[in-house]
Amino acid sequence: MAFLLLPSLCALAQDTLVVAPNKEVLHSTMIGVGSANVLDTYLSPYNYKGTDYRIQRETQRMTLLWSGRVSNQSFIDVNFATTKNHARNIKEYAGGIRYSQGWFYNFMGGNIVNPVERSKSRFNIAAGLGASGYLGVVYIDRSGNNPAQAKADLMIDASVMATYDMVLWRHHYLWRYQVSSPLMGIAFSPAYGQSYYEAFELKQHDHNFLFAYPGNMPSMRHRLTLDIPIRRYTLRMGYVAQFNQSMFNHLKYHSWTHDFVIGFNKYLYRR
Amino acid sequence: MKKIHSLIFFSFLLLVFHSCVKEDFYDNTRRGNYEALWRIMNEHYCFFDYKKQELGVDWDDVHARYAYKINEDMTNTQLFEVLCEMLSELQDGHVNLAASFDFGRNWSFYEDHPENYNDSIAKLYLGHNYSIASGLKYVTLPDNIGYVRCESFAEGIGDGNVSAMLNALASCNALIIDVRGNGGGQLTKAQAFASHFTNEKILVGYVSHKTGKGRNDFSSPKAVNLDPASNGIRWQKPVVVLTNRAVYSAANDFVKCMKQCPNVTIMGDQTGGGSGMPFNSELPNGWTVRYSAVVFYDKDMQHTEFGIQPDIFLEMSGADLMQKKDTYIEKAREYLSKSE
Repeated sequence: MAFLLLPSLCALAQDTLVVAPNKEVLHSTMIGVGSANVLDTYLSPYNYKGTDYRIQRETQRMTLLWSGRVSNQSFIDVNFATTKNHARNIKEYAGGIRYSQGWFYNFMGGNIVNPVERSKSRFNIAAGLGASGYLGVVYIDRSGNNPAQAKADLMIDASVMATYDMVLWRHHYLWRYQVSSPLMGIAFSPAYGQSYYEAFELKQHDHNFLFAYPGNMPSMRHRLTLDIPIRRYTLRMGYVAQFNQSMFNHLKYHSWTHDFVIGFNKYLYRR
Repeated sequence: MKKIHSLIFFSFLLLVFHSCVKEDFYDNTRRGNYEALWRIMNEHYCFFDYKKQELGVDWDDVHARYAYKINEDMTNTQLFEVLCEMLSELQDGHVNLAASFDFGRNWSFYEDHPENYNDSIAKLYLGHNYSIASGLKYVTLPDNIGYVRCESFAEGIGDGNVSAMLNALASCNALIIDVRGNGGGQLTKAQAFASHFTNEKILVGYVSHKTGKGRNDFSSPKAVNLDPASNGIRWQKPVVVLTNRAVYSAANDFVKCMKQCPNVTIMGDQTGGGSGMPFNSELPNGWTVRYSAVVFYDKDMQHTEFGIQPDIFLEMSGADLMQKKDTYIEKAREYLSKSE
């Protein structure tokens, strides 16, 4: 089977190398499922545990910045979790969407976008900063006032990514790892006992937009994937762990998710 | 290579120094549930000072008095009874404990007082040909006074409904709005209804919420204004609002707003109160607890948690009941006829 795949892979390599690095764009789409552990003390003092569903869409390309050593990553991450309390008698739903744009310096003259064909080293590393925005909600399925909690932030993130080109039986299997963490920004939170009636009906705000930094928003996102080439496409599978946490206005929040993800990625070429 | 080492080291630092945000306490034993309930109330309930002043309730003393009643051999029912008994000390209709087998409550705000309402007799005034606008039942009485029965604010009463009703009653000389027995619902609906009875923005009260776990951690009170309805009809003629002890929560707020409106007279018994906006939480065993979390004051910064006094106090007359007459409605008609 591997010998059958080889000609197509060679043809792909010949095509790509005639294209300038900044014209090459890596697109990746993945879906995932895993576990979720959600705590939002505005709604309940206890952890809610259940299943997490995730969709991720990523675009990466090299730019002309810093003599072509800077790559750009555009990332959309959507998740939805259905959870229950310890007693298993109350449901809670949590979900949101994060959009981020990041710029990474590629060390050692590497190319993190297509390291298999464009880097001399099998190990590549890039680090950079990005901006991201998040909109989400946590809804608890019990009657009463304030059954939901809105989540929103605008952050500057630090991120490090690394790749390792593993060759087995003349095939390239690419490991990718990325860790990101918010550095600073602005986040929304109601005050400790503030009702949404006050915030939105009466438009009375009380420390609802806060300066966020790792001290009050210690969050991290990890992603480890393996790219497996299959003809002109590449199967991508891996593990995504997200630890979104905050402590604003004496309210605690965490959303810890662990997902197995699978999808495809493909290189396309811009004019 | 040094740069790579620095980056790896930086990543490692990120991993190490990111602390976990965890739940504070979880103990699903009898005592664990008892402590959880006491603590949830201690950190979130908004009327401790007022209840201490009015009822002499000391929440620390409550903990001491009830703690000895808890043991691990109790049945669920026994635990529920003790926890409800503890909550009842606060005499707050918004404080409830809900389990699959029972709903703990203290409804003394109306159960300990005369009802001053007879549904069968009140229905005689509506007759059979009354109209309904999203839960508002209305009819024109023989003396050309409009009678509106508002049983709840749980239904979505909107500007369109109120305007349609006021339009239908436009030829009436005056209006009676009967909210007796209205246990509340949506605060926004109550205020939307009241907004049809003022032409100007009026101060109706203040609101304050908790800002932390301390019993005295409150935000500075902020004004709550009633804006005149921007859509539809605004009533310009005399209005009587009929109240009894079962007028509670959002309905209590409606009375508070109406009391500030021009041409409005509150007649009947003191309202039941319930001026705290309730939030919900839960115990480790899954029972749901509801508690007053946000304080609403009147325009003089006074609590209305235990009710609002009417402008004219009324009592149902036994003789009227015998004649199948509603004293409240009859007195309101008499009052409005004189004021025409």
